Amino acid sequence: MATVREAPVLEVVDLSLRYQTRQGEVQAVEGVSFELAQGQSLGLVGESGCGKTSVATSLMRLLPENAYLAGGQVKLGGTDLLPLSDDEIRGYRWRRIAMVFQAAMNSLDPVHRVGQQVIEAIEAHRMETTLADARERVARLFRMVGLDPQLMDRYPHEFSGGMRQRAVIAMALSCDPDLIIADEPTTALDVIVQDRILRELKVVQQELRMGMIYISHDIGVVAEVTDRIGVMYAGRLVELGDTADVFRSPMHPYTAALMSSFPSVHGERLPLVGLAGEPPNLIDPPAGCPFHPRCPYADDICRTEFPDRSFRGDNWAACWHPLDASPLSEDRQNQDF
Amino acid sequence: MTRYLAKRAGQMALTLFLIVTLTFFLVQAQPGDYATFYALNPDLPAEVRAQLKESFGLDKPLWQQYLVHMKNTFTGNFGVSFGHFPRPVMEVLAERLPRTAVLFLTATAVSFYIGFFLGKAIAWRRGGVLEYAATISGATLFTAFTPAFGLMMIWVFAFKLGWLPVGKFLDPLIWRGAEVSANHVFSYMLVTGAAFIVFAFLVLFFFRRSGRIGPAPLVAPIIGAAALAIPVAWGLSDIGFLALDILRHMILPIVTLTLISFAGTMLLTRNSMLETMREDYVMAARAKGLPEKVVRDRHAARNALLPVVTSLVYSLIFAIDGSVIIEGVFSWPGMGMTLLDAVRSEDLPLVMGSMVFIGLFSLLAHVIVDVLYVYLDPRIRYQ
Ligand SMILES: Nc1ncnc2c1ncn2[C@@H]1O[C@H](COP(=O)(O)OP(=O)(O)OP(=O)(O)O)[C@@H](O)[C@H]1O
Ligand code: SF4
Ligand SMILES: [Mg+2]
Repeated sequence: MATVREAPVLEVVDLSLRYQTRQGEVQAVEGVSFELAQGQSLGLVGESGCGKTSVATSLMRLLPENAYLAGGQVKLGGTDLLPLSDDEIRGYRWRRIAMVFQAAMNSLDPVHRVGQQVIEAIEAHRMETTLADARERVARLFRMVGLDPQLMDRYPHEFSGGMRQRAVIAMALSCDPDLIIADEPTTALDVIVQDRILRELKVVQQELRMGMIYISHDIGVVAEVTDRIGVMYAGRLVELGDTADVFRSPMHPYTAALMSSFPSVHGERLPLVGLAGEPPNLIDPPAGCPFHPRCPYADDICRTEFPDRSFRGDNWAACWHPLDASPLSEDRQNQDF
Repeated sequence: MTRYLAKRAGQMALTLFLIVTLTFFLVQAQPGDYATFYALNPDLPAEVRAQLKESFGLDKPLWQQYLVHMKNTFTGNFGVSFGHFPRPVMEVLAERLPRTAVLFLTATAVSFYIGFFLGKAIAWRRGGVLEYAATISGATLFTAFTPAFGLMMIWVFAFKLGWLPVGKFLDPLIWRGAEVSANHVFSYMLVTGAAFIVFAFLVLFFFRRSGRIGPAPLVAPIIGAAALAIPVAWGLSDIGFLALDILRHMILPIVTLTLISFAGTMLLTRNSMLETMREDYVMAARAKGLPEKVVRDRHAARNALLPVVTSLVYSLIFAIDGSVIIEGVFSWPGMGMTLLDAVRSEDLPLVMGSMVFIGLFSLLAHVIVDVLYVYLDPRIRYQ
């Protein structure tokens, strides 16, 4: 997968997000940085609760009341979105960054016609001036995602799961965004439908040359559709690199463990090695490397100091003892994480 | 839709049949029985008594009387009122029913609107002064003893401040020498109100259908102009001051009824909003970059409306109760007071007639709410 190298559309620098809860502060995102070029796609993977959705919603500044941004920048085309006023950020939402939510099935309002819900976005961003043009745009979008344009006057409950999924994607594309975030959009669907929609989404993304952030905990799915891959653990980005390279030789022990938890990745089959233990509590994360309680290579420095980045080409991992270029050798394969 | 309405009409007829049966036997079970009242009432001239006896089958056995009663009811013949002799019950009711309907519908609409508006506002901005003030005062009013609260309103606004009349439908001093009857003026007022509502709906409908994007800029000015034209036209007419008098008498009972009932809608809306605000489609609406007001009204509040409308059926029953009491307190000559007076003076034909119409009224309201619900929630089918 060739990586497009252009000036980044999106630049995330040292992003930190906390949730205030009665038990304490949840450090959901800690010092996350990455870039995304025009037309490029990035996969974010990690176990449930590692902060993937939190990163995505921070990019649109679409945060629940108990969340606050503890620092960082989200630059889109050079403008930092985080200090913008509510009115200003509204102009960026959907027009520049659109999102297919994790609960895509429920992101359609049951009491309004599906087409109308797309039109209201078109209307809010003044993408068309007449209703006829707006409907024409919706029809075009529907065709693009494989829906019959006549369905636009139906209500969500008249759609099947797959159709709703497609409608939500059409809605996300409605204002020609620079960046589309797809948060594990297909988990509620059966595997065949999921696979088809995923491929179609990728085709559309490449056709429109949008940036895409694709979020999943299935690293195999991410590998199929993204140029680059970012692995998150306990609110931190622990490895980032070209998808092919990461797959050929993951540097972070957690990445390797994730890969072996999902044996269906294309190419060689790995023996299924379970990832033992639970991700840490983000209210009181472990000192040092957050992965150390589960890591077979952990030693003293891992337990006390957060690891520096180790580089291999453009790829990096935050680990004191990154895996070798051929990490899946006999001894490591048989490690029981 | 037609089939659904036909089915609902059938259900209504059945319910009405039960109501008529029930009132008939309830009245029969009263100590002073119907036949004796008619036959022995000294207020009635002998020939009228004979005629009534004939047409109500009073000399026949009970089951035959019941059949005659049923037939009379469904042909709209409730007999002659004792208390308003010699006016037929139907005539008395035809005069009173619109007065109650206006009082009741206005108060219900206003209190629903206020309750819904406040409910969505306090859910949207939690913890504000508004939430605190609205919840405390709403709950206090909601639980207040209705007659006492009504009297207090009269005391403050009629006696102490002297802003509004104490009660009744009109002020005889103003009407002395008037060439038209109160009913005449009132029916013109009703026609004006109904015409305005229809007009407003047509304007909204017409502009929604026009192919533009964004809010229709002409709707508010057109409806506003019509709303202004109405008082001007009435002011120019020679019955304008009479209408104003009726209007002044309407204010206090409507405000009182509104105040005691808005809190129910408000608290329900608030709870319902807190639910819908957590829904994914509200998050999606915000993500689309829609203005906060649109997110709140078109998505969160629009969905929160559904359970509130369902509960409207129950609050209607509460409101019918409330308006009987309020009419009594304000001496408002509507159905509620008619029923109270008729019961007190044992005016049995009028009691039966009022009961049937109050029943019919609540049945109709029920059906309207159901149809409204089907219209509001596309997931519901007409069944
Ligand atoms: N509104 C909130 N209040 C408090 N804590 C929250 C809130 N939202 C998320 N969290 C916590 O923040 C952490 C990150 O959550 P997030 O939803 O970003 O994870 P995720 O990687 O998207 O998980 P999943 O794969 O299950 O979707 C989790 O520990 C979660 O419990
Ligand atoms: S830093 Fe240490 S504990 Fe953390 S992943 Fe690397 S080897 Fe394991
Ligand atoms: Mg998530």
